[in-house]
Amino acid sequence: MIWVEVLSRHRDIAARFRIAAPEARIGRGYDNDVIIDDPYVAAQHLRVFRDEAGQLVAEDLGSTNGTFLDGGRNRVARIVIDGKHPIRIGQTYLRVREIHHEVERERVAAPERRTLPIAAAAGLGGLLLGLSALQVWLAQTVELRASSYLTPLLSIVATVLVWAGVWALLSRIFSGSSHLLRNLLITLAGGLAFSLYHEFARLFAFAWPWSGPSTYQYVAAWSILAAMCFLHLRELGRTRLKLKGAVVAALLVTAIAFQTLQRSEAFSDFGRQYTTHQLLPPALRAVQLTEPGVFFGEIANLKTRLDSDRVQARPNEAVQ
Amino acid sequence: MFWLNGESIIAVWARQGDFVAVSVARVARALTWLLLFLALDGSAAWTAQAASSIAEGIYAAAPPRLLQIRTLVADAGQQASIGSGFLVSADGLAITNYHVISQAVLEPKTYRLEYTAADGGRGELSVVDVDLPNDLAVVRLARRDAPFFTFDGAAMEGTPPKGERLYSMGNPLDLGFTIIEGTYNGLVDRTYNERVHFSGALNPGMSGGPTVSAEGQVVGVNVATRRGGQLLSFLVPARYAAALLQRVREQKTPPDLRAEVGRQLAAWQSALHRSFAEKGFRSTALGPYLAPETVAPWFNCWANTNAGATPKPRASINSVNCKADTGLYVAPDLNTGAIQIDHSYVKATDLNQFQLATLLTQMSQPRLVGGGPFRKWYTPQRCHEDFVGAAAASDRPPLRVVWCAQAYREFEGLYDVALIAVTQDQGSAALVSRLSLQAVGYDDAVALGQRFLQSVQTSK
Repeated sequence: MIWVEVLSRHRDIAARFRIAAPEARIGRGYDNDVIIDDPYVAAQHLRVFRDEAGQLVAEDLGSTNGTFLDGGRNRVARIVIDGKHPIRIGQTYLRVREIHHEVERERVAAPERRTLPIAAAAGLGGLLLGLSALQVWLAQTVELRASSYLTPLLSIVATVLVWAGVWALLSRIFSGSSHLLRNLLITLAGGLAFSLYHEFARLFAFAWPWSGPSTYQYVAAWSILAAMCFLHLRELGRTRLKLKGAVVAALLVTAIAFQTLQRSEAFSDFGRQYTTHQLLPPALRAVQLTEPGVFFGEIANLKTRLDSDRVQARPNEAVQ
Repeated sequence: MFWLNGESIIAVWARQGDFVAVSVARVARALTWLLLFLALDGSAAWTAQAASSIAEGIYAAAPPRLLQIRTLVADAGQQASIGSGFLVSADGLAITNYHVISQAVLEPKTYRLEYTAADGGRGELSVVDVDLPNDLAVVRLARRDAPFFTFDGAAMEGTPPKGERLYSMGNPLDLGFTIIEGTYNGLVDRTYNERVHFSGALNPGMSGGPTVSAEGQVVGVNVATRRGGQLLSFLVPARYAAALLQRVREQKTPPDLRAEVGRQLAAWQSALHRSFAEKGFRSTALGPYLAPETVAPWFNCWANTNAGATPKPRASINSVNCKADTGLYVAPDLNTGAIQIDHSYVKATDLNQFQLATLLTQMSQPRLVGGGPFRKWYTPQRCHEDFVGAAAASDRPPLRVVWCAQAYREFEGLYDVALIAVTQDQGSAALVSRLSLQAVGYDDAVALGQRFLQSVQTSK
């Protein structure tokens, strides 16, 4: 007994035919055992039979377009069937298997873990919203109003849902399953990472006077976004991960380079850094006080920098 | 404050809210209509009869000596700004304001100068010397043996009586030569540069014109009015004009004027800041802190509080803002030299430490505002910040200090500086002190900043 399977372009099984006879004929004509409605397939295209050595063989019956192994570019007249590699006739993919074809072992069903990801998503979501609400509260210096909390929180919820929803939809289209929960987890983790980064950058800028993380926050934001995109793409299908990684990395580099350019142009137009001079409660100071003499020594060094700025600015004047 | 040259556009100086943009051309057109209505009224005839006979005499003698000075765009041949001036010597030297001819000094290739005398004579003129701090310039006309104005003796000694009648002349808004009667009201209080307070209606275009006594002798040079005031006008005392004229007579080679502007700005700023530093600071109590307050008399201080604000503020802010009226006109788009000292005592009533820190963050941004467009005059701003405190001095609270500075592209050795200090000794209240200096030498600024920080103390 032989099984002939017709595959989709994505190699999913579209139809499966059981042939009781020792030989099977495949083609577009009605005298075949398996009829393929593909205009590029010949009326009598392929014959599957057992040869003298007992191997199952597929033989081209003299079609114009020929028979190929999946991915191969050379037409073959005779193929020894192994049950693994699909055969292409016309634009149709076929797979032929015998009844004793070995199948994978039964997968062990994981214990019911449905609650864990849900709990994780709820936890991360709660953390993200809580942190955002805390940020709003600590930045509140005028009257407390419900809308000043609701506006950012609702927009976070909406953004997270739309973002995760779009990826779930893409995932449903391309891999058949939406993985909504995983996409949601990735989105929440990304949002939380950025929130935490923002807070720590502020703390660094105050406590150590180290404004680097705060100044280059946009680099961190783009990197987090890129990591999220890569993980979402992985959920679409775990194939071609290197290509996906390369595309995301290229986009990341482009985005960072573009924003750096924009900022440097804005700096030369307006002469101001984007940095906010951050203050936090004095108790968070992490360094020793600088002696006034040392501080003013540093300030005197700044003069060199200003003067070199002036020298650089001069050539433009000369051109005028 | 307006400068009285009728520039087609007087730029907005972002720093001082009271300097405004006007299109004189538009104002002039509006006035033409106004006069037309008056003429139809027949009230103009009545005004002419009431004019003082002294003014008539002075004005009758003025024409050949009184000038309108016009700055023309060299290529277009049309006026870009107008002002007035007056002859002070038989060999064709005349006095006007620096701001009337500044464009021709700074961009000699783009602009040239021309005069029209009140008697109809016209011709080219050139700048001989300028006095930037007093906003004066000496120009030379190709006129020989014309009558000229002399300086008033009492004015030279600075002693005309308050209330004396003065007569100001010029060509306001390009409407024609005009004489205006007003009174001498002594020198203006609380200014670093001496200015005569003249109660009379000066208008744009009269800049550089003479204000004379009843004998027709020059007491001052028209320079500015205060916008929003009534008849509040200012003159440069005559003795500065006489001194500049003397300097011109003594000089052998004419100076490179563009470089001279930078040199005079630097010299004046350095004298100003030396004098500012010499006067020093005295302590004024703000909450539990002592804040440095300047003793220099040319500062104008105002106190502010948010106690009456609605909704009820969650932190009380009491502040003192002191501003020195030392801004100097350098170019149509650069007005610099102001000094500002601000202190705010912020005490949380209903804010936690983080919320107070957010409020203090908003209040302590450097906001280094230049006196003109950035790309033309300044280099980018550079900042340094740190926690500062002297371990030895127990009466000095730990501070968070930000220092930001930008250099002037054109003027070597001059910088704009902002120094902000926020006390760090408690979480529920703080003193935010700010010192802003424009066009200051770097070492002067550092020395002043050091003294400023030393004077931020706790009062125990």
